[in-house]
Amino acid sequence: MQEKNALNYDYSVAKCFTYATILFGIIGMLIGVVIAYQMAFPQLNYLAGEYGTYSRLRPLHTSGVIFGFLLSGIFATWYYVGQRVLKVSMAESKFLMVVGKLHFWIYMITILTAVVTLFMGISTSKEYAELEWPLDIAVVVLWVLWGISIFGLVGIRREKTLYISMWYYIATFLGVAMLYLFNNMEVPTYFVSGYGKWYHSVSMYAGTNDAMVQWWYGHNAVAFVFTVPIIAMIYYFLPKESGQPVFSYKLSLLSFWGLMFVYLWAGGHHLLFSTVPDWVQTMGSIFSVILILPSWGSAINMLLTMKGQWGQLKENPLVKFMVLASTFYMLSTLEGPIQAIKSVNALAHFTDWIPGHVHDGTLGWVGFMTMAALFHMAPRMYKRELYSKKLMESQFWVQTTGIVMYFSSMWIAGITQGMMWRATDQYGNLAYSFIDTVTVLIPYYALRATGGLLYLVGFFMFTYNMYKTMTASKAIASEPQNASPMAA
Amino acid sequence: MFHWLERNPFFFAVGVFLVVAYAGVVTILPDFMESARPVVGTKPYSVLELAGRQIYIKDSCNACHSQLVRPFKSETDRYGMYSLSGEYAYDRPFLWGSKRTGPDLMRVGNYRTTDWHEYHMLNPKSVVPGSIMPAYKHMFKNNADIDTAYAEAYTVKTVFNVPYDKPDMPKLGTFDEAKKDAFEAAAVIVADMKSTEVKEAFKRGEIKEIVALVAYLNSLK
Amino acid sequence: MNMETIRELQAYGYIFLTVFLAIGLYAYIYHLYRAEKKGTRNYEKYADIALHDNIDDAPVEAISPLNKEKE
Repeated sequence: MQEKNALNYDYSVAKCFTYATILFGIIGMLIGVVIAYQMAFPQLNYLAGEYGTYSRLRPLHTSGVIFGFLLSGIFATWYYVGQRVLKVSMAESKFLMVVGKLHFWIYMITILTAVVTLFMGISTSKEYAELEWPLDIAVVVLWVLWGISIFGLVGIRREKTLYISMWYYIATFLGVAMLYLFNNMEVPTYFVSGYGKWYHSVSMYAGTNDAMVQWWYGHNAVAFVFTVPIIAMIYYFLPKESGQPVFSYKLSLLSFWGLMFVYLWAGGHHLLFSTVPDWVQTMGSIFSVILILPSWGSAINMLLTMKGQWGQLKENPLVKFMVLASTFYMLSTLEGPIQAIKSVNALAHFTDWIPGHVHDGTLGWVGFMTMAALFHMAPRMYKRELYSKKLMESQFWVQTTGIVMYFSSMWIAGITQGMMWRATDQYGNLAYSFIDTVTVLIPYYALRATGGLLYLVGFFMFTYNMYKTMTASKAIASEPQNASPMAA
Repeated sequence: MFHWLERNPFFFAVGVFLVVAYAGVVTILPDFMESARPVVGTKPYSVLELAGRQIYIKDSCNACHSQLVRPFKSETDRYGMYSLSGEYAYDRPFLWGSKRTGPDLMRVGNYRTTDWHEYHMLNPKSVVPGSIMPAYKHMFKNNADIDTAYAEAYTVKTVFNVPYDKPDMPKLGTFDEAKKDAFEAAAVIVADMKSTEVKEAFKRGEIKEIVALVAYLNSLK
Repeated sequence: MNMETIRELQAYGYIFLTVFLAIGLYAYIYHLYRAEKKGTRNYEKYADIALHDNIDDAPVEAISPLNKEKE
């Protein structure tokens, strides 16, 4: 392909999504820190009147980090990785370029509108699917555009076989499409009755059915947004950064199908001891435990990729980020199944242990992997070396400390709360009133919020480092093959 | 066969989709046949209660309060009878929540009263010392949206056959009838409240959010 | 259709999954290793797609008319 020397990968869309990742990361995590402190210091609820209460902000935090930070992170890496593993440039197709740009702008408009409407309290109340129907339609449009971009690029590829990361991106696309559509089935009330707000809608499902659909979605939104695309990232970025081929490509393929088969069955574990049919609950429990296998298949594969190369951990902070990410992936995919065991769930459900579990997955696995991916992409997109290795090292330790503070305090808080709820005195009466179980947790809430604050500080360090890399770092002559160049 | 799938992105995508969708087809779809049947005595929400429910959703009360009593002695002692599937037959969306930062509210109407809620929403610490719940003073300022509540009731009645206007069931009627009924129901709650602001607004023909919310909370039994 | 029939069908659906999952995944492992042993296809080489991903690198398996006919 010598005649095509002038052809280069086109990262313009990937760059746009990189900025979006940083922007929404700051918004989402900042709100997260605020609401965490609100639980320890309730006075903080009154900073912005009606719009500043914990309950208003909580959906903003979850949607902000999931659909703002993480989704744009996924898109940014897709527009980077997709071209490279298919060996085709976006510049080769004007059509795909237009689709990519359109995808970005519709995405930005949708998410920014979502931020505003959630502040206003316009919500359907379903977790991670709070958006009302007009925004749901916008989400569908942007999702279809992403699909066109994926399959369009696949259609003009030079590499015949799809790399494993591509499998995971495609699975993300399909899985989220199906789940989102079904969970957001709703009837706009204005168009039926002619009264009231035009954007209000009512769920197509009622009660227990609604709960089943919601947690089938809720659980698998975690699967297909927090897990599948992040695996896509790590299967590309870790081998590329370290220069080591995947330890066992066969294992990666097998884990893929294992994950696809098993993940969707585990949603029932959110509804243990509720009014959904018993067998759905039991099945959710069993499949959650089975889920350890494909999850660890990927995680161990990643760790073994570094076999004999552990020295890189010392030299290259990016490898360190990614290895820690896969370690946290192992931790949270073990913790999840433990919580899904019925007797454990009886204690853990509704307590702070659950957000604790979520956050060691999201902060440790998802956050670290996304930031490492963007760090890896930056020198190649901007043709400059990374601004500061030292800053990266400190960011790593600040954030790791934050995560450890976060999940350890939430483990203790959750188990304390669960035990106190069920504690009885010698006559069999409940030993504690509800408020006793709240006040006892306040020190842990303070600790948790501080952990979150450390993580946010780390994210600002990341932002600064990225900004300096884009603007002020030393230019590099040619693209590095593996280890990203970085100034001390 | 395996390799063929790996080579053909289209069929690969179809394969992935089938594998992913299978769980939903087996576990989720069939249950739509059954579990929406209401238990005896469960009634759809009145328009005022629905307006309150919409405020509950607007302010995401479900972020901290569950509405699901699990079948354990420690829970039935604390909150009352464990939840039955049929009790949720008219809940669109369901509001089970996933976190109990505050107590369960499934049967809060059994043990809390209008004036308790009024004090609590103005200043939670005044009735529950040590509470970390924020005050919701804006609920005493904003008006409840009866129009949208009526729209929702009318929609579920026509689209999902929710039994409004059936014997022994809540009346819905036309918009004007429904509005009149909502005001009558609101009058009862306003009479139990202390806030002059709410009372005067009601005289002007405004139902504040707090009134509708209390109507909803009182209906949770 | 009454509830008993549905529950029965669900149970069959579930058993089918379990059997299919077990057989399918074992067959897949067998296929992966046999293809490598017989030399028809070395899956491990696909790992190189990530490592040699410059636009002017030779694809690990190029799309060409010749290849297509071999399928």
